[in-house]
Amino acid sequence: MSKVSFRVGQGEIVALLGLSGCGKSTLCLCLGGIIPHCLGGEMTGGILVNGKKTRDCPVAQLALEVGLVFQDPDTQLFLPTVEDELAFAPENLCLPVEEVEARVGNVLTILGINDLRYANPKNLSGGQKQLVALGAVLSLDPGILVLDEVMAPLDPESKKRISDAVNALRQRGKTVLVVEHDLEAVSFADRILVLENGRLIKDGQAPDVLGEREFLLRHKLELEDELRIKRWDL
Amino acid sequence: MGFIKFIDVGFSYPGQNKPVLQDVNLSIPKEGVTAVIGPNGSGKTTFSKLLMGILKPTGGLIRLDGEPLSSLNLAQTGRRVGYVFQNPGKQLFCETVEEEIGFGLQNLGLTPEQVSRKAREIMEYFELTRYSQSFPLSLSTGEKRRLAIAAVLALEPDLLVLDEPTAGLDPYRKKLLGDYLERVIASQRGVVIISHDHRFINKYATRLIRLEGGQFAEVGPTGNHH
Repeated sequence: MSKVSFRVGQGEIVALLGLSGCGKSTLCLCLGGIIPHCLGGEMTGGILVNGKKTRDCPVAQLALEVGLVFQDPDTQLFLPTVEDELAFAPENLCLPVEEVEARVGNVLTILGINDLRYANPKNLSGGQKQLVALGAVLSLDPGILVLDEVMAPLDPESKKRISDAVNALRQRGKTVLVVEHDLEAVSFADRILVLENGRLIKDGQAPDVLGEREFLLRHKLELEDELRIKRWDL
Repeated sequence: MGFIKFIDVGFSYPGQNKPVLQDVNLSIPKEGVTAVIGPNGSGKTTFSKLLMGILKPTGGLIRLDGEPLSSLNLAQTGRRVGYVFQNPGKQLFCETVEEEIGFGLQNLGLTPEQVSRKAREIMEYFELTRYSQSFPLSLSTGEKRRLAIAAVLALEPDLLVLDEPTAGLDPYRKKLLGDYLERVIASQRGVVIISHDHRFINKYATRLIRLEGGQFAEVGPTGNHH
């Protein structure tokens, strides 16, 4: 990334777009402090999360404020049951047992995975693992949620549940950054940022950016002919 | 004509009561793009691993070009059927992108010149040339997926099985992939994709099957091609 500057207000839902390899995941890792604390490389400039400099703030502390859901759920799941995964964060916050149970129950319902409560995440499908990884972060209830391409392995019903969950988070004043390639999957965003080769080339209100067909086509974020074909009764 | 045939196939994971597949009879031809859809956890990936011989059915029989799949080892199946995992990082293991693509080609017995030419062609097509000397696991998720797909496509298997091939791909790279698949099927080879990407399926699938409750059902076309 190079000379990227932007500011996101509390309660904003922001979609981050850009071609593969343009730096979207890198940006997510910076928000959570994983860059510069855990990964190598050189970070110039600075990032403030709720007024705290990520460079000076330990990752464990940032994790309470920024919940990251990665592209590969296998990197996030490590406990023997789904329930344990969802309870892990609130238990580590030393919340009362009733509160932990309430959060676990709530997240299972929001994501529609009550039937997976006692399953071993290892035995779940790719899409189910993705839902559990997301649930583990939702149960932490951070002020800022970062979802890095979580939608792709999900069936239409789960996609709908997630966009409903994001809308509910907005109502509660939470801030959400969503990385996706599918413009339909970010229809709930208030604002859109576009990265290209590590530079921020667009920052605007979602309806305005999505309305700029010329721009989207020119930067290969949308393809003309893909819109029209409806061959299958899906 | 069925290149791969499932005959009364059932499958359950060890220690789990509920079967993933039950009495499945299905034929996968060596032509066109067969798309498999179904809810999360319905068994799509399990099905593809059975198709590839990575998992063995707990009931029934799977035939590959007439031969029982159980009589072939993975190397023999792998020469006919190419498989790209849902998580592409799992199948990358070489030091550089170029070696990753060349690995399978070398094992097919191609000369170093042929390997190098073919690797260059496919890297060029999938826009991986500038990463040819990069470490595969340092690529972004979308780039890893392109690499995993390119490495398998280079081998020109009779049937390609791609699990969630468009996850992590931007629209432009999806189109590159789709156009390549059209070339593949034009050369009398077949493709199976497992996907939730409805736009991709609508554009490229020539047959659609839905897996739910352990059984497959054919899904009909809308009759509206444009």
